[in-house]
Amino acid sequence: MCWCSTRGWWEELLEDWLIVMAGMELMEQSKMWFPYHGGLLVEFVQYFGESAQAVSWITSIGWPCSSPFGTALCNGYGARPVVMAGGCLSALGFILASQATCVTHLYLTLGIISGSGWALVFTPMVASVMQYFTRKRSLAMALGFTGVGLSSFAFSPLFQLLVEMYTWRGALLILGGLSLNMVACGALIRPLGTHKAVAASAWSCASLFHRAYSYLELSLLFQRPFLTYSLAITFFNCGYFVPYVHLVAHSRHEGFSQYQAAFVISATGVTDIVGRVVSGWASDLGRLRLPHMLVLWTGLLGLSLLMLPLGSLGGSYPGLLIISLAYGFCAGAMTPLVFSVVPEIVGMERMLGALGLLQMIESIGGLLGSPLSGLLKDLTGSYTASFLVAGGFLLLGTMVMTTLPHFFSCTDQRPLQRHARNYNNKQQNQQSPESGLMTNSLSEKLNHIDTIPYSQPRTDDATTIC
Amino acid sequence: MFSPWILSLQLILFPLFWRGIYTTETNPSLALTVPVTTVFKSAVLKGDSLVEKVEILKPIDLELACTWTGNPNKLPNITGYWRKDGSEITNSRLTVQLENEQYNLKRVFRITGDTLGNYSCIFSDTDEAKIDFNVAAPEMDDKKDKPIVAYVGDSVAMACKTKLPPNTWLWYRANGTEQELINATTDPLRYKISVDGNTTKLTVMNLTEEDSGVYVCSAIYNIKASVSRVEVRVITFMEPLKPFIAIVAEVIILVLLILLYERWSSQRSSHSPTENGVHAEPTHKLTREGNNGMDENTTTRQRKI
Repeated sequence: MCWCSTRGWWEELLEDWLIVMAGMELMEQSKMWFPYHGGLLVEFVQYFGESAQAVSWITSIGWPCSSPFGTALCNGYGARPVVMAGGCLSALGFILASQATCVTHLYLTLGIISGSGWALVFTPMVASVMQYFTRKRSLAMALGFTGVGLSSFAFSPLFQLLVEMYTWRGALLILGGLSLNMVACGALIRPLGTHKAVAASAWSCASLFHRAYSYLELSLLFQRPFLTYSLAITFFNCGYFVPYVHLVAHSRHEGFSQYQAAFVISATGVTDIVGRVVSGWASDLGRLRLPHMLVLWTGLLGLSLLMLPLGSLGGSYPGLLIISLAYGFCAGAMTPLVFSVVPEIVGMERMLGALGLLQMIESIGGLLGSPLSGLLKDLTGSYTASFLVAGGFLLLGTMVMTTLPHFFSCTDQRPLQRHARNYNNKQQNQQSPESGLMTNSLSEKLNHIDTIPYSQPRTDDATTIC
Repeated sequence: MFSPWILSLQLILFPLFWRGIYTTETNPSLALTVPVTTVFKSAVLKGDSLVEKVEILKPIDLELACTWTGNPNKLPNITGYWRKDGSEITNSRLTVQLENEQYNLKRVFRITGDTLGNYSCIFSDTDEAKIDFNVAAPEMDDKKDKPIVAYVGDSVAMACKTKLPPNTWLWYRANGTEQELINATTDPLRYKISVDGNTTKLTVMNLTEEDSGVYVCSAIYNIKASVSRVEVRVITFMEPLKPFIAIVAEVIILVLLILLYERWSSQRSSHSPTENGVHAEPTHKLTREGNNGMDENTTTRQRKI
């Protein structure tokens, strides 16, 4: 797909899609402590006697701040060692947590150690999948992300069983073991040899600072397109998680039974997975530019959130169900696109660092969104206001997205350059759209930090529609 | 059972006069030495049968009143009688008259610890219509059917809850058919019992494997004690460690397999230099190839990908 080798085409296919499988497995493993953390938290509250709010902070700290650190390491040492180390770290956090005697231990182990481990795994994995695929990038991302949905189906009953047999201590120990599977997934990532190896001359302060600056891609923070995109994604995050948290409670509030509410959530989860795959496949058809598709899905998502309180007006269960399904589909559809658009904006070379920074910035939205909606519910007494605000955030993010440079053009534009003086016209014209990273020889790569941008104006694609 | 031609019956629920339990109303016709309150409980039958729960805290006189709005064949007289725990109470058969389109049956029972049970009033027509009253001490709220698991050296807490607070709570350790009372004051390092109205909690600390077994919490009411059992299983840390080690072994084997396969396939491709053209071997491979690497680079540059 993106590099030629002596292997046959089937071997290539196998190994490339193996990365996607590894990605799925990783998503499952790394996201697994989000779906079941509800069950874990109940156990902690019972055992330690702390309030649910104090315990729920465990999952919030740690991983957002470590994301740029993870991608910086990836830039320096390649994805494989970083992901394997992240898997080990994550497992270590779980194993140590099984010996905890107070909630502070849990903050340190589950929150910080496992959270950092997860950050070292997630973003490099996403970046690797994106590096491996050029033509079928969105589909690969979508399939990888379906691992998240599958993990909630698979791990909830498993976790219940583990807690019943071994209590939460034993369950954490075994989950630590399962987290080690991330090491095996990381081993599947074949190094592409594109990480920036700066000539390691002197270990002076200046060179270290320069390395950190380039690995973390901090220069992106001074460039408007990236900042615009991060702002848009932050707004998306403010509204995205609200229904996950409040849909069940809203259904019960409207008077539906527990089983009806649970069915709504399950159905939404199913349409979420379907939406991811469909969106990935549709984006790869190339009919619409990726930012346009993203804006389409997020706009629809915002609208469905605004209509969610309306759907259940008058106690109408089909209305609630239909709008929840629409919400699930649109939410799933936007997820792979959020990451696929990044290389278009910042270029393949800086994508790693960009992803890390993006994760950190967008997590602010996630941290703000849920408590805000909880506060609105407490103030107004129903969930209508929080759904409306969430929908509003999504539409606001959509509008911010339209201010991206060259948004309204019909062809893919060249992404950002770090330094204008290193811009190389000639080499750019010789590239084909499908060439991903391996456009230059490796020795050239080793010498230049800046590289050729990813995508070309698709002049040969006559069927592109704006 | 009843055929569907029984028409709709009205359901009127009279409030339970629980306040009667705490007053000193006495029923003079019963001539008792101890003042006993009378509680009234009634129900109206709609359909084939009805089950009502009656929770008793102390010995009382319970008046049960049944009303049946009858069937379309409203006969002027039918037979009504009472059953306790399935067997008919002697001399309880009466002829019931149809008044205001209803049949009424009423009886007073002396309820003590021994006479708790299932009382039924039966209206006997061509078929039988009955209302069951389950007269019992208050039951525990949560049923624990799964054992509680805990580790050696750790502590475990068991809780029991009822709707109405009992006089006292007692905890027992069940040993086969015998029950041994747990006294927290004599053994404060191991047991801790806390009582909070209608809930109680037993904490067993410094667990050992002998602490596995069944624990019984008992809510003592004036009429009878209501019990609930909970099983505790104490395990060592070796138990979850075994699947953990199995998983770690599996991961190590997988990683080794993947790395070995990679090494094998790259060795295989390096043995055929003519097809080598462009190959995206990782940087470490290139440095290993040494001179070959430089040649490959020049070919890479010339060949368009």
